[in-house]
Amino acid sequence: MNLRRYVVLRLLQLVPVTLVVIIINFLLVHLAPGDVSIILAGDTADPAYLAAIRERYGLDRPFLEQLWRYLVQVGSGDLGLSFRSREPVFAEIMSRVPATLLLVGTSLGLSVIIGTVIGTWIARRPGSTTDSVVSALAVGLFSVPVFWLGLMLVLFFAVQLQMFPAMGMSSVDGPREGPGRILDILHHMVLPVLALMTVSVGQYVRLARSAVAEVMGESYITTVRAIGFPDRTIMMHYALRNALLPVVTVLGLQLGLVLTGAVLTETVFSWPGLGRLIYDAILARDTPVIMGAFIAMSVTVAFASLITDLVYAFLDPRVTL
Amino acid sequence: MAFSATRLTRFCLAALALAAVAASPPRAQAQQPATLVVPQLGEPKTLSPNFASDSLGFAPTSNVYSHLVAIDWGVNKGTGAYGDLAESWSTSDDGKAVTFKLHKTAKWHDGKPVTSHDVKFTFDTVIARKYPAFVVLKNVREITTPDDNTVVLHLIEPEVGFVPMLAQVSTWTGKIYPKHLWEGQDGFDKGPLVNAPVGSGPFRFVRWERGGLVELEANKDYFRGPPKIDRLVFRQVTDVNVARAEFDSGRLQFLNYEYAPPLAEVAALRRDPKLKVVFTPSHFSRDIQLNLTRKPLDKLEVRQAIAHAIDREAMNRLAFSGFWKPAVHASVESQGELINRDARFPAFDRAKAEALLDAAGLPRGAGGWRFDISVTNPNFPDCKAMMEVLVQQLRQVGINAKLEQFDQATWFRRQAEKNFDISCYFTRYGPDPDAFREHFMTGGGRNNMSYSSAELDQLATRAATLQNKAERTTIYHQIQSLIVRDLPYINLFDEQKTTIIRTGWSGFNTEPEAFDKAITWFGYYTVTPPGR
Repeated sequence: MNLRRYVVLRLLQLVPVTLVVIIINFLLVHLAPGDVSIILAGDTADPAYLAAIRERYGLDRPFLEQLWRYLVQVGSGDLGLSFRSREPVFAEIMSRVPATLLLVGTSLGLSVIIGTVIGTWIARRPGSTTDSVVSALAVGLFSVPVFWLGLMLVLFFAVQLQMFPAMGMSSVDGPREGPGRILDILHHMVLPVLALMTVSVGQYVRLARSAVAEVMGESYITTVRAIGFPDRTIMMHYALRNALLPVVTVLGLQLGLVLTGAVLTETVFSWPGLGRLIYDAILARDTPVIMGAFIAMSVTVAFASLITDLVYAFLDPRVTL
Repeated sequence: MAFSATRLTRFCLAALALAAVAASPPRAQAQQPATLVVPQLGEPKTLSPNFASDSLGFAPTSNVYSHLVAIDWGVNKGTGAYGDLAESWSTSDDGKAVTFKLHKTAKWHDGKPVTSHDVKFTFDTVIARKYPAFVVLKNVREITTPDDNTVVLHLIEPEVGFVPMLAQVSTWTGKIYPKHLWEGQDGFDKGPLVNAPVGSGPFRFVRWERGGLVELEANKDYFRGPPKIDRLVFRQVTDVNVARAEFDSGRLQFLNYEYAPPLAEVAALRRDPKLKVVFTPSHFSRDIQLNLTRKPLDKLEVRQAIAHAIDREAMNRLAFSGFWKPAVHASVESQGELINRDARFPAFDRAKAEALLDAAGLPRGAGGWRFDISVTNPNFPDCKAMMEVLVQQLRQVGINAKLEQFDQATWFRRQAEKNFDISCYFTRYGPDPDAFREHFMTGGGRNNMSYSSAELDQLATRAATLQNKAERTTIYHQIQSLIVRDLPYINLFDEQKTTIIRTGWSGFNTEPEAFDKAITWFGYYTVTPPGR
């Protein structure tokens, strides 16, 4: 199949997926008790104002009509206005995406690289003391609750050593642009990235270790060994490429969750990310923001799985698109 | 695909180098003169306070906008209201017209003068759209502006508590908007100023960094004189423990009550010379509402038994380390002579509670339980701590109580729908005692208990229009006697806020020196940094 045609077909699949996502989530938000009118009007509001809000936001209409109106609106490329801030939902979401991508993307990238390197390294001697210690440590790290680890990092690095800041993405008095701004953001990133990474790196260590160990036992490796290739060439050129396939699969799955996977870390470090926006929107029953975020998430998941498949085909010649 | 080991090594080295660069602190910045960073638990919903009740927007908007009249923690010493834009006010003899004289020097942040037309425009819009401040302004028939500095609110019914209630609601919503910038917008939730407010308050809006902070700067032309801090930043610190850590490491100067330390730590904190711990009482209580439409709470004996089962001293020790003030009257200490000290809630007496329940036909049955009941609370840490103890105290007299928790929207909805048995609540007694109507009159906005007493309705309605202070006080004493007799609610504690302030800083709104000057409960106008 022609690559372009394949990509277009895969992207077209997004339409039914998004439709189902919208319908299910619209129903779920609708089923939750309370609506935005109580949040906006307060507990002593005049019933007339509650009714006015419901009317202004279309909440007084039958469920199916609300859903139909929303679908038509999304179909025309408009995600609507937030019930709370009255700003365009698309702009609200986009203003939070860079922060989340920076945090989760960086820690995901670092965990994959570091995890794969460590996993590969210990797989060379399965069953050795190093292997047992590192493997146990990897499982241990994977089980640490990320908010607890975050708080411990804050206590040690932000309070005791005063090396890194613990709140937000930039300093109040920091430079607003140029290299100073970038350094300021990097400085603020260290602790949250470290917290997220420490927890996820163990997973990749385990994955890479078992995959590499398995591949090293294959007969084609014995063959290249018999031919007399040096260890490093065998590892890099022949073993790792095949061993990377499960790592790519897991990475693809996690990439799909990149926008929302860090609510706890974002909360501990007051990171201005998308996870917290969605959390707040759900508590306030801000339907347009909730729906917009879910649409953004389904698009990300679809793209991530598309990229995973493309990379898979590239890594594994047996797979054709 | 072939990537060599050297390339991989090089990449890792590059990543390490990047991390090392990141680890070095950003270059030293010029000392900004007097910035106060106030932590906030989350993001404001909007910076237009007049269309939404938005607890996280109160602080930024109260410092940008002005109010006709205001109130702050000075309510503790009996202040009902003081003028913000209003220099003075007077009520007509028939009690149906309140005339406000405005400060002549107040200016909008764009330089235009603040006039009576702005007040009329704002309140007319609130009334027409029934925005949240309508809860007070619904008694306004017409607003007239005899001149630029005079505004008259003509009331439908005389209402003694009108100005204090206006001051109270203004702290949250009903702030004065500039007519020349808002005229022509379709309501206060549309247009360019919704999230870029132009007000006439002590601070100007600078920027709102989404998910991060709201920054304000001192308004040098403020009509009361410029504030002593140059910048006021409301920064989101979403984790209470992180905020505390940042305070301890010196990067925050002030923690408000949302970040209050566990009261068990207060004794130790008080010995620390680097900070001061401030307790501020309020005109709210922490209490429980009993749903009178639910069985067996509809029986007076059962409500009496519940009151007898409550040990406030033990609750204080367990929930608040003994630092709160138990409340035994249907009022709080800040109300002074308005408290009827002869009307007391039933005292703690477990044997009497059991006897009352037996007499009510609710003997201990299987497992020792008399009946099941659920206890709920709004998402306040103090309510949660109290209700955990209450459940245990009820279980000790054989009431099978269990705790139920909901998110805020759900809890509000359930209270409004009267879908609860017992709930922690925050009854209000000031700034004017007319508050009793809202909480205890038949159909009152906060009468979630469905309490109805013809006698109380009649007394409260009369007191609302009564100008004679002594006579009014007598009526409110009678009302408290009725409440203590009928027990639609049981008062437990005076509400108390805990704030911690770094030594050298002063004038925070919870400190007595700022009372009646701070401009609302959320005002930072009076804050003085070290050395000024």
